[in-house]
Amino acid sequence: MNEKTKCGTILTILLLMGILTSGCAKGTATPLVEQPITVTTETTAPTVAPQKSQIVFVIAEDPASFNATIADAGYDSLVMKLVMLGLTGLDLDGNAYPVLAAELPTVENGDVVLDEENGTMDVTWKLRQDIQWSDGTPVTAEDVVFTYNALTDPEYGFWIQGLDYIDGVDKVDDYTAVVHYNTIYPGYTTQFGGEQIVIWPAHYCDATQGFIYWDCSTKPLSDGPYTLKEWVLGDHMTFERNTNYYEQGKPTIDEVVVRIIPDETVRKQMLINGDADLDMWTTESMIAELQNQPNVEVNFSPYTRWVMRIFFNLAAKGTTDPAATPHPIVSDVRVRRAIRMAIDVDTIAKEFFLGYAQPTWTEFFRPPYNTCDIPKPVYDPQAAAALLEEAGWTDQDGDGVRECNGCETAEKGYKMEMEFITYGEYGEPLINTQQLIAEELGNIGIKLNLTVVEGSILWAASTDGGIEQSGNFDIDIWDDGYFGNDPTDFLWGYYYSEAAIPDYGYNYGRYINPQIDELINQAYTLDEGVRKDVFCQVAKILDDDLPQLLLFTAIDANTHSTRLQGVQSNPNDIVTWNVADWTLK
Amino acid sequence: MGNYVVRRLLQAIPLMFIVSIVLFALVNLTPGALAGRGQSRHLRPEQVAILRRQFGLDQPLVMRYIYWLVGNDWTKVDTNGDGIKDSPGQGKGILRGDFGLSYRTRKPVIDSIRIYLKNTVYLMSVTLLVVAIIAIPVGVLTAVKQYSVFDIVVTTLSFIGQAIPEFWLGLILILIFYVWLKNPLTGEPLLPAGGMYTLGIGFSLIDWTKHLLLPVTMGVVGWVTWYSRFLRSSMLDVIHQDYVRTARAKGLKERNVLFKHALRNALLPLVTIFALDLPYIFAGSLYVEILFSWPGMGRLYYQAALDRDYPLLMAILTFGTVVVILSNLLADIVYARLDPRIHYE
Repeated sequence: MNEKTKCGTILTILLLMGILTSGCAKGTATPLVEQPITVTTETTAPTVAPQKSQIVFVIAEDPASFNATIADAGYDSLVMKLVMLGLTGLDLDGNAYPVLAAELPTVENGDVVLDEENGTMDVTWKLRQDIQWSDGTPVTAEDVVFTYNALTDPEYGFWIQGLDYIDGVDKVDDYTAVVHYNTIYPGYTTQFGGEQIVIWPAHYCDATQGFIYWDCSTKPLSDGPYTLKEWVLGDHMTFERNTNYYEQGKPTIDEVVVRIIPDETVRKQMLINGDADLDMWTTESMIAELQNQPNVEVNFSPYTRWVMRIFFNLAAKGTTDPAATPHPIVSDVRVRRAIRMAIDVDTIAKEFFLGYAQPTWTEFFRPPYNTCDIPKPVYDPQAAAALLEEAGWTDQDGDGVRECNGCETAEKGYKMEMEFITYGEYGEPLINTQQLIAEELGNIGIKLNLTVVEGSILWAASTDGGIEQSGNFDIDIWDDGYFGNDPTDFLWGYYYSEAAIPDYGYNYGRYINPQIDELINQAYTLDEGVRKDVFCQVAKILDDDLPQLLLFTAIDANTHSTRLQGVQSNPNDIVTWNVADWTLK
Repeated sequence: MGNYVVRRLLQAIPLMFIVSIVLFALVNLTPGALAGRGQSRHLRPEQVAILRRQFGLDQPLVMRYIYWLVGNDWTKVDTNGDGIKDSPGQGKGILRGDFGLSYRTRKPVIDSIRIYLKNTVYLMSVTLLVVAIIAIPVGVLTAVKQYSVFDIVVTTLSFIGQAIPEFWLGLILILIFYVWLKNPLTGEPLLPAGGMYTLGIGFSLIDWTKHLLLPVTMGVVGWVTWYSRFLRSSMLDVIHQDYVRTARAKGLKERNVLFKHALRNALLPLVTIFALDLPYIFAGSLYVEILFSWPGMGRLYYQAALDRDYPLLMAILTFGTVVVILSNLLADIVYARLDPRIHYE
């Protein structure tokens, strides 16, 4: 062996030894970090180092801030729930439960006072008196009023559901605040709670900076189970137990580390290797890969709120007035019904979503309003074709695409050809779904030209070129749904005639039905009997009119390590909704 | 030379100006502002109007460009939407170092760039250094030993290296060094899957080196094959020149002939290409940064594009433009320094 070879060999051995011994020394690749903490006693005698328990979340990107109200990417909510509290939370069934509030205001306990004559109501929130911010300052009604004022600031505020119905919020005493509504608002229980709204500290946040800009959204003061210890942008966030947290003995886990791991495959492997404890929003294909891993458990929501749906533009493409310029094809309800019959939802759920998707055909598919008897649509391509024939759409030139020959919505000879849009961020299952639907509709003579765009282009305001808001589409497919237990605002946003005005709501299909408007107006009541009846009437009309074609709900699942106990995916909230209850096995 | 540099720098000013106009128009004409990922689908029109006003999106494109360039603190703006311009603007413009607020975080974009840039420079500098250390000797040796077994093996590996998709290579590296190979003493993965360092142990040179190994390897492969092939070709041209033959005829040692006479001339075109590649040090590599969870400029740019974060996008693109122009200038200067035949008037 010559000198050069010797040197090379020695260097190689040294390098390998370095790697091996460094692995020996650090002992931190596993999530449970045993960090020795030197405790100095009066006698200066060495003591046994306490062990800090730690869990590691892996997420794809940094949250923008801790203010999930102004951004709904999910990561903001994830970390917000670690450090901040709202007046209420939402459980698995969509029921509100008190958090900062001492109890839920109801008509029965006298905290909701209705003025039937004027159609208004006052809601009194009584706060717990044992909750403090991490600096020791009590959480008071002052903070509730401060949060409301910040939200409604004309320049730097931010609109949230129900805000239009509030005339003001008054502090009664240190632990009592009254919200004055100018209507009967059934969604009042999550007005200052739920997934995206928390109460902000009046003594800490700088109101002059404004709700959407203030520094306390990136350096939050905590009243939740954890406090932010460190945030290294793009790399990780470290949270430690809030010693001022109001629930005695909670949280039991000392530290939470949130690591930014953009690649899904790497996140999956970190879970398998035991280097991570939680990964959000597990996809169907990932579940299949993780199922037999001993260190990993996939946790499902009992149901999910996101419904994949086809939006029909009832106005001609590029317009927003269905009466003046009806869509030449899908403005005929028979065509929409034929499309419904031609789509094999069960196959999509089974093949592309690996059986995890649940066929869904009405907005009222989950508690507490899943009491309406709306039959599941039948997959019947022959009947669909017959219905198109009946509607005056036939293929006389034999090119496989129907033309208008006696139809009521287009000129004779108009081809049954449309653009079919979806968004790319959802991933392969939705792209496959789009393609299969196009194929199935092609089989009955409807030609669809497929387009995939970014969600930002699909949902932007009309002034920014948004496809939906400007009505620049024929049909498209994407997912949405309401959170919590009150669908009223959601129904208003998607089906109310006023919401069809560009940028004013999300009635992208420009569905105008005075009967629906009236029923939605009636749903703004606290009478549960009336609401259930109204919603069933709405369900029936929507099933007949088919302004949107609801297809299925995909999964809501999160993956965690088996050593982490208490994780429960919640369709109404982010997975960290009950983080204070988590324990390590 | 001094005059030349000054002249080039002065010429760069109108060039920057033109490029900035094109970039600003392209970025700002992209639909989807304030509706990118993380922005609510359910914004009310009043809210959209407020946000558009606060970010200056209610202004015509030309005015937006002027405000972006020189700020708007010299004029009055409409802050409350009543149509009356009654308050002085807050923006200072990029010429005074104010790149604006991110649409996504509502914080100064320059803060994000400062953090991500240093991580990218760190990773890419090491990568390019390793590229130079490997590619130069390999390029020289394959030229000197043309058609030898070594040359054939390196040539084959070079083609494989160039053909391997970068992302796939990264996944394979993770599979081998994070999934399959374990440290026999601890049972932990031999190398980490990503990140810049292990949390909670403080600075450790070995730990930082371990975190560099895989991303650097992923980044190095493509460049090494490209540079070594280029240098091989360049060396082959040079070593058949008369002056090399003359050097040998003078009885110089082969090492001196190769490294003092041949390599210096063969490196000339390589130096130019290397200088032109310098912007990568600042731009980063998207795939490497995503796969190995490296918080760098490539990732920041990608996220900004997905988020339709125009101010952040413009800041990164402007910065990239400056670096490209300066790198071109540097290439010219270095070329002139290395090649005495080149004179800039």
